[in-house]
Amino acid sequence: LNRLPLSGRPRLAQAPLLAPAAILWIVLFALPLFSFLVFSFWSVRARIMRPDFTLQNYVATIREYGDVLLITLGMGLIIALATTTLAFLFAYAIRFRAGRYGDMLLFITLIALFGGYLVKIYAWKSILGRDGIINGFLMWTGAIREPLEILIYSHGAIVVTLTYFLLPFAILPIYGSLRAIPEDLIEAASDLGASSLQVSRDVVLPLCERGLGVAFLLSFLISVGDYVTPRFVGGGASMMGHFIETQFSFGFNWPKGSAMSFTLLAASLALVILCRTLLRRLLRP
Amino acid sequence: MKASAIATAAWSAFIAAVVTFMLLPLALVIVFSFNAAALTSFPLTGFTLDWYARLFANDSFWPALTDSLIIAAAVAILSVMVGVLAAMGLSKLKGRAAMLLLDILAIPMMLPALIIGIALLSFFVRVLSLPLGLPTVILGQLVVIVPFVVAILYARLSNFDWSLVESARDLGASPLTAFATITLPIIRPSVAGAALIGSGNTLPTLVWGMVRTSLDPTINAIATLLLGLSIGSTVLALRLLDYRR
Repeated sequence: LNRLPLSGRPRLAQAPLLAPAAILWIVLFALPLFSFLVFSFWSVRARIMRPDFTLQNYVATIREYGDVLLITLGMGLIIALATTTLAFLFAYAIRFRAGRYGDMLLFITLIALFGGYLVKIYAWKSILGRDGIINGFLMWTGAIREPLEILIYSHGAIVVTLTYFLLPFAILPIYGSLRAIPEDLIEAASDLGASSLQVSRDVVLPLCERGLGVAFLLSFLISVGDYVTPRFVGGGASMMGHFIETQFSFGFNWPKGSAMSFTLLAASLALVILCRTLLRRLLRP
Repeated sequence: MKASAIATAAWSAFIAAVVTFMLLPLALVIVFSFNAAALTSFPLTGFTLDWYARLFANDSFWPALTDSLIIAAAVAILSVMVGVLAAMGLSKLKGRAAMLLLDILAIPMMLPALIIGIALLSFFVRVLSLPLGLPTVILGQLVVIVPFVVAILYARLSNFDWSLVESARDLGASPLTAFATITLPIIRPSVAGAALIGSGNTLPTLVWGMVRTSLDPTINAIATLLLGLSIGSTVLALRLLDYRR
């Protein structure tokens, strides 16, 4: 780009092009999030929100939901690790192992993006449910007499359903950074005597750090904030999102719901930064 | 030789397993939407269109469909308009500055939808005193969709040769003509992809209510229709934009 005569032009010339997106970002994202943060310091008396500056909502969040918060972060970590690992292996297979079937696998990944979130949760509910497909099949073959109760309404069901939903979203950014790795770099490394495992670890993995980071971040943050999957396939195994949603639908305690949201966000960001540091150490010894 | 044959077999097995994991649940939804039994369970009992008939007879189905289509169309059009402009602006900036702006722009895409949703809800209701309805749903969708659109288009535009636009301008073409005749034809497959993510994200409240209350094969029917609608609209958009060329 820099070789073009454009580079001499003042940067402000791009401002009108960026203005609509910037206005949208400020008015529909930054301002609402800021006012939402302000609400978290308000208090509620007789079911009415009152302007205030109290940390009471945050104290209550830690005291009442501290254990739920830890479970939620743990679940998010498990789901993000499972999703990112599967997505990396599959993207690696598309790029380096599948040969002429690569395009077809990429197309299958795109198909898997469709269908919508609720439809996918419903699909797993009907697979894992008490009268569902797995139980029905096992009873039909005679392997079991009574339906297995542990399939649905468990932490495992939440992990499977969310990994299923997030996998195509994670494959695409990782594949994007794998595609940018030139073939001759890999060839050069193996010509110099590196085994395929060494090539993967020392050449491929560090070069797709951005893709891996995006996939991990996306799947972690979507998992910790989710309240639909825990509700429909998780049963009693509830996560933070469920309790936040309750403050808005039944509790009418918006300031507390807001404090719970920002506690969840802050804890998630701290964990993400920790994971990022560890990943950096791991990829660049 | 033997070790590489084992590795190939292992990779094939892994690929087959992941493909099955990604496609089987949706395939089952489609199959059971045509199955006669009221329980979603094997063995299959026979072919029927009853679940579709029951869905079309449902009073709340048609208004829900209309609203979803209106939202999808509005979000697709608006997000592509805003996204194309932003991606063009970004692609003319230096790589580092563009990446930084792109990351800032992408924050709403990364945050949990629940938190963005309730933050917007409280902002619309408490601060702006707006009535909730289709317009607020469209605005809420835009926040999350626009970063996707910008990211997709920026990836395409950043390895796009701007000198073509410059020479057209030198020849006396207005910037708009240059955009419509040179920029758009080159980026349009990506515009289609971006517009589709825009419309594929609408959350049908009807399904929400159904999943919550029952495990009825009518949900299989509506899920199959949604799947057909999203894949069908993709194929149609790619056709209209002449993707084959």
